[in-house]
Amino acid sequence: MLSSHVRNGWYLGAWSDEIGRTLTRRWITDIPVCFYRLPDGSVTAVEDRCPHRKYPLSLGHLDDEGTLQCDYHGYRFDGQGVCVGVAEQADRPKAALRRFPLVEKDGAIWIWPGEADLADASLLPDTSWLTDPRWTHVHGVVPLKARHLLLVENLLDLTHETFLHPTSIGNAAVAATPIDVTVDGDRVGFSRRMVGIEAPPFYEKSCGLTSPVDRWQDGEFHPPGIFVLHIRVAATGTEEPEGFHMKVLYGMTPALGNETHDFYALARDYLIDDEDLTEFQHKQQLAVMQEDVDALEAQELMYATDPGGTAESSIRSDLAALRGRRALAKMLAREQRGNVPA
Amino acid sequence: MTSPSTAALAALPLGTAAATTTPAPRDTEYDGTVTVLSRKPAADGVTSLVLAPRDGVPLPRWQPGAHIDVVLPTGTVRQYSLCGPTAVTDCWRIAVLREPAGRGGSQWIHDEVREGSELRIRGPRNNFPLRKASRYLFVAGGIGITPLLPMIGEAYAAGAEWSLLYGGRSRASMAFLSELAGYGERVTVRPQDEYGLLDLAGHLGEPDPSALVYCCGPAGLIDAVEAHCATWPAGSLHVERFAATPGQHPGDGEGDEPFEVELRSSGVTLTVRPGQSVLGAVAAAGAPVMSSCEEGICGSCETAVLAGEIDHRDSLLTDDERAAGDTMLICVSRARGGRLVLDL
Repeated sequence: MLSSHVRNGWYLGAWSDEIGRTLTRRWITDIPVCFYRLPDGSVTAVEDRCPHRKYPLSLGHLDDEGTLQCDYHGYRFDGQGVCVGVAEQADRPKAALRRFPLVEKDGAIWIWPGEADLADASLLPDTSWLTDPRWTHVHGVVPLKARHLLLVENLLDLTHETFLHPTSIGNAAVAATPIDVTVDGDRVGFSRRMVGIEAPPFYEKSCGLTSPVDRWQDGEFHPPGIFVLHIRVAATGTEEPEGFHMKVLYGMTPALGNETHDFYALARDYLIDDEDLTEFQHKQQLAVMQEDVDALEAQELMYATDPGGTAESSIRSDLAALRGRRALAKMLAREQRGNVPA
Repeated sequence: MTSPSTAALAALPLGTAAATTTPAPRDTEYDGTVTVLSRKPAADGVTSLVLAPRDGVPLPRWQPGAHIDVVLPTGTVRQYSLCGPTAVTDCWRIAVLREPAGRGGSQWIHDEVREGSELRIRGPRNNFPLRKASRYLFVAGGIGITPLLPMIGEAYAAGAEWSLLYGGRSRASMAFLSELAGYGERVTVRPQDEYGLLDLAGHLGEPDPSALVYCCGPAGLIDAVEAHCATWPAGSLHVERFAATPGQHPGDGEGDEPFEVELRSSGVTLTVRPGQSVLGAVAAAGAPVMSSCEEGICGSCETAVLAGEIDHRDSLLTDDERAAGDTMLICVSRARGGRLVLDL
């Protein structure tokens, strides 16, 4: 079945702390995926359809040996997804589950829902800051009833912070500062260097800064579904590496239809033991994300009811988002032609 | 009267034309191949080239302010002011500043052209002629000195009163200082690293109905001179702006050539004039085409190219997409000479 989503790429499938010895269902690019851990602690993910009559395996059982049983007619699968028998019957059907390539690192489980042979762990961005003792972070996932592309474009055009997040991370300086856009293969990067600006409320409180400040946003979109934002805030004139650094990771994972898993991790390299600050930042992050979710869901309705696609106007600040959109379209076209780069 | 800058050309290896019977100079535009007789550094990042036709027939006569087209092997056309003496007709001199931020024309000349290389040129043409006056105030910024050099020669030969204010980043980056030194105090050299911004008010002074101001250089300098001369009598100020950076001011048409576009599906061939976009020409012909921003950003007008060399001037396409040469944003991009065949 052709998907409207790129499948030959890494998506954030789950945070490590979400997956244990219980069967967890998550839709990824319109595929039902069942995540669980084997007795040795390794994570595995299989298509959540029993080969017998497509009953969801996530409604079944996992025993202490790591054998998965379908709770409809009793098909049983070992840790490799191979059918090892059916309940108490003598027949042993030739059946196996589709297992997805996974990489678990730095507390995140990455899944490749496309052709397993093409899965290449070197395509994953550096996430070592999620486990670096000099940093601290919070993470989670927020459901979004809007198509994946809208979230990609939201993150690639941060001028929206000025208008959508004026009480937290946005102010006039964001929309007023142009970006530099870079392209490296399918990856799209942008850089916005705001110098001598008013500190937005979130950074005033988070860093105890008074205006004027310098604020940097360097974003990387690793299509199809990974976005990393490197943030640096400091009193104007402060030289690197002095200053406050934060990083945000977004795993933008298409779920089912026009719904998306909006995974986030927010990290900082200062006052890492200050739990009150961590709680404040986490609350702020979720508040900002709620503003985005509300906006994208409102936008989704407008896209869904405009199938002909009335022409869109674009301006220079759309460049990173437009390039991201093109990168996704190209990847999808390559995939649907079966013409994948070696 | 021979100007000091004529002396600078006296040492050039001139063509063989001067030896035997001298044919009359061409009186039309020259369009052909020339050989690079000499290539010398004129300043940091500036190289001067002396060009002569292979057939020994003298080149067309030209007037100060004239430029020629240099047609690069890619079909790209770049324009350079003639900066030798107007009296010399068997060779021409141009000076080329290496512009890393440009579209590669100057880089190619710096990297590939040697003494003995052949170049295709066209010209001369003059959009910056020197009008008669009893007094001239010249203002040059950086490589903007090139059209002014022959103007100064002319003013000097005519016995006019004149002065030159010449600015640049640093002395080392300013071309032809030694040639200008022969003119003595009429030339004021003001590198920015020694003197800061040019003192335009001091040089230009009060409006003088008998004087003409000629300025060539970067946009900022021209804007400042235009602002200063706003109170001068109309027609006092003459400027030549360098061609706009592509992608910054798409479709301003400065220095563009007309070219043909064939619309394969429609079976129509159009001419795109300088200052007109492919999109404009195509839309005027009634071909169905989408567009939105008309600035080379949004990609709405992206069109498949079946044949021809594209001069990409958009902001959206990646280097790989440009190199593939099979698609273009027709609101701003053009042909690199020759014609384009579009899938329209």
